[in-house]
Amino acid sequence: MIPEIAWKNIWRNKTRSLIVMTSVTLGIISGVLLVGIMQGWVEQRLHDAIYNEVSHIQIHNAEYFDNENILSTIDSLDEVISVLESMPEIKSWTKRTKLTVIATSPWASTGLFIYGINPEKEKAVTEIYTKIVPGGGEYLDINKTGYILISDKTAEILQLKQYIVTAPLIEKFRNAGLPDNVIIKLDSIKNIRFRSPKEFKTILEKKLTGKDLKRYGQTIMDSALDYRIRNRLQLTFSDRDGNPVQGTFRVCGIYKTTNTGFDQASAFVNINELTELFGAGTPLIHEIAIRLHDTENLETVKNKFSALSGKNIVHTWEELAPDAAMMNDFMLLYYFIFIGIIMLALAFGIINTMLMAILERTKELGMLMAIGMNKKRIFSMIMLETIFLTSTGAVAGMFAGWGLVSLLGKTGIHFASWGEGFEAIGYSASVYPVVTFDFFIFIIVTVVITAVLSSIWPARKALKLNPVETLRTE
Amino acid sequence: MKILELKKVNKIYNESEVPVHAVRDVTLEFEEGEFTAIVGPSGSGKTTLLNLIGGLDMPTSGEIIINGVNLAKLKPSQLIDFRLKNIGFVFQSYNLIPVLTARENVEFIMSLQKWPVKNREARTYELLKAVGLEERMNSRPAKLSGGQQQRVAVARALAPKPKFILADEPTANLDSKAAANLIDIMEALNIEEKITFIFSTHDPRIVKRARRVITLEDGSVFSDEKIKV
Repeated sequence: MIPEIAWKNIWRNKTRSLIVMTSVTLGIISGVLLVGIMQGWVEQRLHDAIYNEVSHIQIHNAEYFDNENILSTIDSLDEVISVLESMPEIKSWTKRTKLTVIATSPWASTGLFIYGINPEKEKAVTEIYTKIVPGGGEYLDINKTGYILISDKTAEILQLKQYIVTAPLIEKFRNAGLPDNVIIKLDSIKNIRFRSPKEFKTILEKKLTGKDLKRYGQTIMDSALDYRIRNRLQLTFSDRDGNPVQGTFRVCGIYKTTNTGFDQASAFVNINELTELFGAGTPLIHEIAIRLHDTENLETVKNKFSALSGKNIVHTWEELAPDAAMMNDFMLLYYFIFIGIIMLALAFGIINTMLMAILERTKELGMLMAIGMNKKRIFSMIMLETIFLTSTGAVAGMFAGWGLVSLLGKTGIHFASWGEGFEAIGYSASVYPVVTFDFFIFIIVTVVITAVLSSIWPARKALKLNPVETLRTE
Repeated sequence: MKILELKKVNKIYNESEVPVHAVRDVTLEFEEGEFTAIVGPSGSGKTTLLNLIGGLDMPTSGEIIINGVNLAKLKPSQLIDFRLKNIGFVFQSYNLIPVLTARENVEFIMSLQKWPVKNREARTYELLKAVGLEERMNSRPAKLSGGQQQRVAVARALAPKPKFILADEPTANLDSKAAANLIDIMEALNIEEKITFIFSTHDPRIVKRARRVITLEDGSVFSDEKIKV
């Protein structure tokens, strides 16, 4: 009957209890959303790190890994490949040549890692082929020679990304209902090529009013973007004898991942063309990237290849992308920090409410003690009241938070204004919040602990009451 | 059969400052089935004496023995359990639990004593019927009149079949009709259930119904009169 009384007691002062419950609900919604956003980012970073950048496991020659000595290719390659083909834990794998080159366009040059790849095998390991930007051409084709796949960032550096407002584009804007004053301004920059987003943005800022820029600026930027696909790039690097070698490639496509750092440094060509330029009869294999069926087998596979050759070095994704691994490991700590701070703040409100409730019921508590309700039962009743008060709000908060995160998990939250900053550190400007079942278990445990701790002070206050004195009060 | 004994009981408040002698050398014995009124002017020590008998307060000196158990020898936790099992309380201002219905209020102490649900439901119905409230058993105290609330309080005190019931001015907040009705019920239950009633009162009409009247003055027993029926 004590739980029943405790439940009824919290509804004595409906307004006060509802205020506390609402604050708990809002606190939990905030916690779920914050953790959901953080978890969404971590999962996105983990996914992108593994499926775009480093795969589950990579094998290198240790000397290549330490000094990038291009002649230090993977040791015992045939044996390694034989094991790769035989291990059921491995879903797919690909071998790569990796060279440092200078890439030069007619307007600029930049340093790059050029990866010689087999496009078909690469598709089974990485998802770069899905990251071709709209209007950005196509992925490498093993049957087409002389092509290079570069990133949006590299295109920007090499000025292969231009902005041009053409007559058809102006017509399109007019049909879309853009105001005449905006059309007139765009007409004044018709057919002028702007070789960087900064240059084009600056001219738009000068031409358009702040309101028009805010409303139409991004649409105009996106529509005016024109990649110079099929433009030629010259790659310069050293051959096996240290002599400079040059090769010319046409841009077949532009890709864009969420990590500008990776994009800026990575370009891809067909492996055989690189081998030819380098002057080697057979491809130089510097890197083998492996995708597993299940990350549980990470250590098993790593140990197997580590044991094959002492000259090779095997790394897991956690070692190759320590930032992503650290974020993943820190999620539990984030749970504690976010929910801990929220619950600490709420605890004071809960304690205050319970103290008021005790103060209002001193006579009744005295009566209960007089008729034979012992301290343990009084304590239990107050503790249960606090738990019910807190957990009712928490359950509502968990459902609402879960609903909100589910919705935002589909629509995403877009931080377009900070996109460049996020992508510079490997995070997408669009986050899709995610919460796990574990997190809800964590909330339930935290809420119960908070409620129990918050009930101690009010309960002790109640236990100190003297029945004779309280019964005398009016 | 003797169920309650007070031996030279004294209660002094504020011993170290200005001592107030609330109960002075009280020696009394109560038999099973008594229907006893404790009377006296305000400040004569009636409530203090009932608090001492009920184990809510401890005497400064003297002994209170209930069914052979000296209350002073019990630890605080044992005393609470002792009260739960042996003493029923009826308070001047009813003191029902406002969030519970009349039925739940009566059941409450039995649930603390872990009575089986069926038994306590039957006992609750029986008692609420005895106090004439079986139709209002699902009403909360706020929906009942003062007299009805006090009848629920009597039923609650009787529910676990205590050794005796202590009632501190149970009719003080009731009009004369409700007071008479309550005393009728208490008297009937005293006879039917053979439970000892000890109640304090100012009301001369109620005193007339008692079979023993103890008069207190300045904390001392001024008279102890047994009335033959």
